Amino acid sequence: MTDFLLENFWVIPLYSLIGAVITLPWSLGIIRQTGPRPAAYINILMTVVGFVHGSIIFNLIWTRPAEQFVYHWLQVADLDLTLSFELSPVSFGALELVTGISLLVQLYALGYMEKDWSLARFFALMGFFEATLAGLALSDSLLLSYCLLEALTLSTYLLVGFWYAQPLVVTAARDAFLTKRVGDIALLMAIVALSSYGEGLNFSELETWVTGHQLDPTVAALLGLALIAGPISSCAQFPLNLWLDEAMEGPNPAGIMRNSIVVSAGAYVLIKLEPVTTLSPISADALIIVGVITAIGTSLMAIAQIDIKRALSHSTSAYLGLVFIAVGLRQVDIAFLLLFCHAIAKALLFMSAGSVILVTNNQNISEMGGLWSRMPATAMSFVVGAAGLIGVAPLGMFWTYQRWFSGSWDVDWWLLLLVMFVNTFSAINLTRLFRVIFLGEPQVKTRRAPESPWLMAVPMVSLMVVTLITTLAPIQWPLWLSPNIPLPLDQSELINQYATPLLIVSGALGCAIASTMSVRKAWARSSNFTVRFFQDLLAYDFYIEKLYEVTVIAAVSSLSKFTSWIDRYVVDGAVNLVSLATIFSSSALKYNVSGQSQFYLATILIGVGLLLWSMLNGQWSVVTNYWSSIM
Amino acid sequence: MVSTSVKRSKPFIVDEYIARLESGSALLDDSPQNLVEVVGILKSYGVVLDAYSVNLCYIANTQHLKLFPFFKYFNGEVNPKKIAQFIWHDRINYEYAEYCMKAMFWHGGGGVDAYVDTPEFSAATDKLIRAYFKYNPLMLLLHKAFPDFLPEQMRQMTYYSALGQFWRVMSDIFINLSDSYDRGEIKSIPDVVQFILDGLVADAARPITYKVKLGNKEYDIIPKSVGITFLMDTGVPYVEAIFFRGTPFRGTVSYNAQAYEIPYDLGMFNYGALYADPLPIGGAGIPPTLLMQDMRHFLPDYLIQLYRQNVRGEGDIRIQICESFQKSMFCVTTAAVKGLAPHPLDTQDESQQLANRKYLKGWLNRILESQLLKVNSETET
Amino acid sequence: MLSALILIPFLGAAIIGLLPLEGKHTRNIALVSAISVIAINIFLSFQFDFQHSGLNFAEDVPWIEWIGLNYHLGIDGLSFPLVLLNSLLTLIAIISTSSTIQRPRLYFAMLLLLSGGAAGAFLAQDLLLFFLFYELEIVPLYFLIAIWGGARRGYAAMKFLLYTALSGILVLASFLGLVWLTGESTFDYQTLREYTLPLGSQLLLLAPLLIGIFIKIPIFPFHTWLPDAHVEASTPISVLLAGVLLKLGTYALLRFGVGLFLEGWVYLAPWLAILASISALYGASCAIAQTDMKKVVAYSSIAHMAYILLAATATTRLSMTAAVFQMVSHGLISAFLFLLVGMVYQKTGSRDVNYLRGLLNPERGLPVTGGFMILGVMASSGLPGMVGFISEFLVFRGSFPIFPIPTLLCLVGTGLTAVYFLLVINKVFFGRLTVGLPKIPPVQWKEHAPAFVLLMLIVAFGIKPDWVIHWSEVQAIALLTGS
Repeated sequence: MTDFLLENFWVIPLYSLIGAVITLPWSLGIIRQTGPRPAAYINILMTVVGFVHGSIIFNLIWTRPAEQFVYHWLQVADLDLTLSFELSPVSFGALELVTGISLLVQLYALGYMEKDWSLARFFALMGFFEATLAGLALSDSLLLSYCLLEALTLSTYLLVGFWYAQPLVVTAARDAFLTKRVGDIALLMAIVALSSYGEGLNFSELETWVTGHQLDPTVAALLGLALIAGPISSCAQFPLNLWLDEAMEGPNPAGIMRNSIVVSAGAYVLIKLEPVTTLSPISADALIIVGVITAIGTSLMAIAQIDIKRALSHSTSAYLGLVFIAVGLRQVDIAFLLLFCHAIAKALLFMSAGSVILVTNNQNISEMGGLWSRMPATAMSFVVGAAGLIGVAPLGMFWTYQRWFSGSWDVDWWLLLLVMFVNTFSAINLTRLFRVIFLGEPQVKTRRAPESPWLMAVPMVSLMVVTLITTLAPIQWPLWLSPNIPLPLDQSELINQYATPLLIVSGALGCAIASTMSVRKAWARSSNFTVRFFQDLLAYDFYIEKLYEVTVIAAVSSLSKFTSWIDRYVVDGAVNLVSLATIFSSSALKYNVSGQSQFYLATILIGVGLLLWSMLNGQWSVVTNYWSSIM
Repeated sequence: MVSTSVKRSKPFIVDEYIARLESGSALLDDSPQNLVEVVGILKSYGVVLDAYSVNLCYIANTQHLKLFPFFKYFNGEVNPKKIAQFIWHDRINYEYAEYCMKAMFWHGGGGVDAYVDTPEFSAATDKLIRAYFKYNPLMLLLHKAFPDFLPEQMRQMTYYSALGQFWRVMSDIFINLSDSYDRGEIKSIPDVVQFILDGLVADAARPITYKVKLGNKEYDIIPKSVGITFLMDTGVPYVEAIFFRGTPFRGTVSYNAQAYEIPYDLGMFNYGALYADPLPIGGAGIPPTLLMQDMRHFLPDYLIQLYRQNVRGEGDIRIQICESFQKSMFCVTTAAVKGLAPHPLDTQDESQQLANRKYLKGWLNRILESQLLKVNSETET
Repeated sequence: MLSALILIPFLGAAIIGLLPLEGKHTRNIALVSAISVIAINIFLSFQFDFQHSGLNFAEDVPWIEWIGLNYHLGIDGLSFPLVLLNSLLTLIAIISTSSTIQRPRLYFAMLLLLSGGAAGAFLAQDLLLFFLFYELEIVPLYFLIAIWGGARRGYAAMKFLLYTALSGILVLASFLGLVWLTGESTFDYQTLREYTLPLGSQLLLLAPLLIGIFIKIPIFPFHTWLPDAHVEASTPISVLLAGVLLKLGTYALLRFGVGLFLEGWVYLAPWLAILASISALYGASCAIAQTDMKKVVAYSSIAHMAYILLAATATTRLSMTAAVFQMVSHGLISAFLFLLVGMVYQKTGSRDVNYLRGLLNPERGLPVTGGFMILGVMASSGLPGMVGFISEFLVFRGSFPIFPIPTLLCLVGTGLTAVYFLLVINKVFFGRLTVGLPKIPPVQWKEHAPAFVLLMLIVAFGIKPDWVIHWSEVQAIALLTGS
């Protein structure tokens, strides 16, 4: 039995896909008399099956070395496209994370979306979402991962666009798709190139190819840059980070997945690609630079947001920025730990936020307050999630930082400063949110706030427990993945000695600042112009969106208008002229207008007939004469 | 597109509608088709409300402090057949009743809202909570750590009960209306309004109470002595919360705080039943779809026939139901407006007329922002 | 056997045209002949030996000997996928024709003539015979646009006729020149392939041939007839035009351009690759600015057809196979999109991107059409799992080693596909339903059947591309080996 399950591990992503397909009768409106909830139950069941199947295999392979399974998808001419899957503790750990969080999120969604009649469509999309994520976890082939990232882009588009009639959703879905698509196209370019240069597109093949070949530095740099473009867009890194902000228009359960698992999926691909992307110092530096800019920029943006979901989603970009830096430094193990701890804590925070939103019919934190004593599960989730994210309490992120700076890795002061910066601002942001949402006096929208129903409370409490348990992960992590071996711990340097206390201080400082700073209440604004200027600058994401509008979007739209104009008046006109058509068609139009089209058709028919006849008779000269006479 | 109708100024329309109401007409135009739609849909609504009301009261009375109310929609009847039906989602969407209850609870107003904040209420619920979790120290500990958690649940339960009792009355009125129509006693929209008005007036002073039985002991959460009554303490807040204010639908309104689409002041909310655009019904993020779906099962034959004549036939029946429903809600609103007027609307006394007009102007300024004009203009053409 | 593929439609057309039948019967006759063509095709596909490079089921009868015209039919890996596509799309065009169409006899007769003509062109192994069918198919298409088209049908049909007639003349000129220069007395393709002319002569003959073919495909700057023709043509005709008739151009490109003038072709290839990328970007860029849904799809056709040119210029083993595959892929996807746009137009009476809104509305909109449309758009913009991705991937992968920069430019074009289609989808299907839109009649499930069949094929070939590729792989590569 277990062997059978092990052999057929590749069906795990298909479970949720099948679940998604089964929902079609409801989502297409074939079943109209009864409601869509069976579709939801089926999907939850499928996720449970996938989770259990994954757990069994995870148990079996826990101690085994990684194995690859290769499927020859397409052999054409001299090209052999293979899709391969990896059976390893890491891939199944990722799979368990995906199916586990997906399961909790779907349960949560059953409560959160209970009054939405398009439940079937939502669960179909969630099933599709989960299938692509699970596939990504198992994929060991760049081609397959690319395909799945694209599918993820589509499902993001559809999930963000779930409430398709809402005006902001329309633009949000569009922008999410197009932004991700920009990265995907660059990635596709890199894949086309890699496939032409290299031997195969499996990650392991890429790794051996990279070590065995001496690539031209320019090509290597371009290749590396194109490869990281995909993860930049899917991890919402600068300059392709805005879609995540907009994507918050979508349903919150999808938002939970997006901010925890989906962004991690992009980073997971990046980690797998690490040998190629860090081949060239330029692309490795680009990773670090992008990571630093994003971490700093989005940390700042987050503290100015008044929308509960956006305040959390910008912080997602910041943490993924740290992951980018870790990958750029080739410290893959740390990248994994950061991803893992962030994913769980952030999922919990988003669940808590969703509960608040549902109860208060509101996302504006300046209109909240005083929920603490009435919503225990929600409030505790927020506290635990925040603690898991800030390196102050001894939970996941703290131990991850601790390992990063404990002397095993080659770290520098700038990195410590950056992590302290992110940590401080994360602490400021989360403490600020906690204060305005849960403490203080209730406002009119939070005056009546009963705790969410059990379908939402149970996933929250479960994930809370998971967050506490997985604190062990960074402590127990064996460190076996990074290409550069951890440093020997013979002599700890100054930075290693001071890192942990400094990080604690930075977190505590953030909490302290946020506890004392004044918070905006009820749409009130500071009267100080400078304060307002910076608030707006950060709240509107440094006006990056405006920047896009006047650059890329303006360029594309004016170019298209220009070509369209050229097409209409220059090309069409010129070709018509050259090909004699102007003479002909203008008279044709005249005939048409005068209603003599029948006559005209006959002429043409006869003309074509004559043409054929003359050609059959080899009387080429007649034809040429005919045309030259028109000329 | 060139609009053919001349746009009239708002004060003019307000005066026009005041005159209409004073002359005994309703807000909704009187036409045979409107009458069929209104009565037919109220019949179906009555059936659905009956189910909602029974369930709300059941939850309030028996499921109040349950942490995992798995079977809260089963009304105590748990058997394999019913479970199968529920899994297949072949049931009334009680979620909508809860949605209305939550909206009413959230918006507040009226006597129930005031009472649940009093010390008497706290004392009563505290007694109940301690008794209920007598053998559950964990929950008692939680109650201590989060002292408002369980009381807030009980406040919500109070609203379950209050709305259940309110809908009990409304359901009976609508079913009786339909019976009366079937007997041929209802001939016009004003008749419908009058019938509803009579029903409201008859039960206006009906007390709203909430009692919970635990073991052999009864806990009086809202005793009769508090004097909470049907019309003023549940009816008026209900109209305000559900007909006028409502909550923004995720399917049409952005919750994005920086978009500032949703006002800060709850009084400025206009997402209620009278304002909602029926067209998105059936789509994603539109909770009233649940109600329309429930009503489609109980439509009288004459109404189904009417709907089938449409281009889409039964394909867009939920939107058609919603359009009819909105018409019927204008009739209920008319009845409520008439019932709450300081003086009879057909009074000849000038000072009374003046007071009435002032009162009506307040209502009409809000009502005319709703779908009313659109509904009436569509029936004209 | 192969003659049946041409004769059955012609016979059907003759019966419909000559016998005084009622509208319903003409439709049935058209259906019967389309179905029997498909049946024969399926039968042939079991007999077809795709490992064998060369002709299957050849028929060779001298026709007009003194000018060297032979009735030489044959089918190989290059033409078979297109013959199959033709038969399938013909059936779909007949099914999706409105039952209340005006003058059904003439219409169906023309439709069958068109289909038979296209089949003949794909099957012809004689240059002159190819040319005959190539010209023959123009006439019914002209009528189909000119009689059953939209408001400016006269203009569009005339423009189409003039362009394609010119295209035919140029192709013929090239053929005649070839025969003259080789000194042969036959137009037989295989015979003429034996000759390798000097480069100069090859270029001289290739130039008119290419311009002729570029008009047909169409490639910038010879494309302007296509958007007009598509916009004015009715839905079934657009399906055939995009799905089959444009493929005549790319088919001729591979068969004659590469097959007969390989050296000249390789000599011109760098310039042609640049032209292909310009055409791809130009088409995409124009598509963004369009407000008519059909025009968007038409310009997207121009962009996607350019990929075939790109693949053909690279002349690698992979790229040649990919070129054939891209033809099939584009045929399916563009036919699918035209069907859906046609459905929107039929139900709402509009294709205006700035007017239509919120058609996803499940009660009063066109939700299933919208769902299909999203999938079709994704297929067109190269979403993995559908045929558009793998065909384009193979094109790019095949041509990247030879022409990296044009390939990357075409990849940018693929990115733009998502832009223009998504803008359309978001405007037309998302949001609230258009205010004041007259009530849209419901769509019956059977009306979606043709689109559904195409969707299934798009997905099936996307997941198992070798089902198509293996037909044509050997033959496409054989084009490169010279005679």
